[in-house]
Amino acid sequence: MTGLLDRAARLGSVGTVNSEPVPAPSGAAEPDDAEVGRRFAAGDEQALALAYERWAGQLHGMAVRAFGPGPDAEDVTQQTFISAWTGRARYRPEQGPLPAWLVGVCRHKIADAWARRDRMRREAEAAVSEAQATPAGGTTPPVDSVVTDRMLVLEELERLGQPQRGIIELAFFADLTHAQISERTGIPLGTVKSHIRRTLERLRTRLEVDGAALPA
Amino acid sequence: MPHCQPEQLALAALHEPLPADDAAHLGSCAECRAEVAGLQRAVGAVAVPEFAEPGPPVAPPASVWAGIAAATGVQAAPGAHAHAAPAAEAPSAPVGATAPVDAGGQVLPLRRSRRPVLLIAAAAVTGAVVGAGAVALVQGDESLEPLTTVALEPLDGEPASGRAEVVVRPDGSRALEVDLDAPAVEDAYYEVWLIEPGIVEMVPLGVLRPGTQTLELPTGLDLAAYPIVDVSVEPLDGDPAHSGVSVARGQLES
Repeated sequence: MTGLLDRAARLGSVGTVNSEPVPAPSGAAEPDDAEVGRRFAAGDEQALALAYERWAGQLHGMAVRAFGPGPDAEDVTQQTFISAWTGRARYRPEQGPLPAWLVGVCRHKIADAWARRDRMRREAEAAVSEAQATPAGGTTPPVDSVVTDRMLVLEELERLGQPQRGIIELAFFADLTHAQISERTGIPLGTVKSHIRRTLERLRTRLEVDGAALPA
Repeated sequence: MPHCQPEQLALAALHEPLPADDAAHLGSCAECRAEVAGLQRAVGAVAVPEFAEPGPPVAPPASVWAGIAAATGVQAAPGAHAHAAPAAEAPSAPVGATAPVDAGGQVLPLRRSRRPVLLIAAAAVTGAVVGAGAVALVQGDESLEPLTTVALEPLDGEPASGRAEVVVRPDGSRALEVDLDAPAVEDAYYEVWLIEPGIVEMVPLGVLRPGTQTLELPTGLDLAAYPIVDVSVEPLDGDPAHSGVSVARGQLES
């Protein structure tokens, strides 16, 4: 079964950040990335500090790309680590490396922040229309459906097993073609294609069931 | 030609170029195009540049770790090179390229207020209320000496109001007695805050439910610096910051 594990490890590296894995000589102080992941899952506080040391820069880079430098981005980075630590029971080392999982948590936090901004925008607009007491006022501006869709899709991605999740993340976030994904993961082309198809169908269903109705 | 294979339509939804005959069919078949559009909704939602990876690393300031340590209670600390140098505001400095700093030197509040705009707007609404409810030395429980009482007035027509009273116990400790008249909320809870007049810094005092309850006031907290008693609705999202949604408010007179 080592082949499967290798595959999961490669897939999981979708979100892997540019860390240089430190080999773990026997008895050395510096554990390698996989060891940090196992210890993190087990609740070792030192592993949280090591994870921060190795990957906070990459995660903060994502947050800064979304919000620009400043408090909003810092908030996302901070919340990512707090959430990851308190929700560490959801991290399964055998499903992929820790940094990939942290990147997923970070995307959630970015999406949450966008949703909060959208909610505040709607509240502000509602307050304005109420203050103006227009006859048509009092209606809450509609939720930005993309904001909702985004959160639903991220949530559904988390429920996917491997290799489906790794494949679709490479397509979504690394912008790889199915041929490149097949090459990268060693999974046959036809299998990659059918996984992509089934995953997109699954996401479509989730959005149709739980998402905002799109204007006809 | 017949309809495109379902797998090909999925690739089209991911913006992959299709073989010429598939592409030609897609151009002329509304049914296949509708299928692509349906599959594309998820792609459009998350295949955005902000989620792409990997990007250039940016070292966060030391305050980010300080907040994580404060929220998790973790004692371990990352190496100093994980933080940006405090002086270096330039966020583009990659990890490792910044001067080493003392990781433990800077402890900031868990989160700074991110939402002054909405709160300020709400404060303007309540301006007229300030003072109306501040009645000093109303006798409550006879064992306690109320310092001041403030009416909590609804904001923006929210169905929430109440009363807050600062009491001093015989041992000198202080508490805020809050009587909240508000409907129960779903998937959310009420929280009470003391906020400074600039509506930037705030002290969370805890979770409220409709009814009467007593909340501890931090020893040494200068109430004159945080005179605004604010009740917010907080979603159950694990986010410890003020939601920006205030439903009732009053101002303590010092």
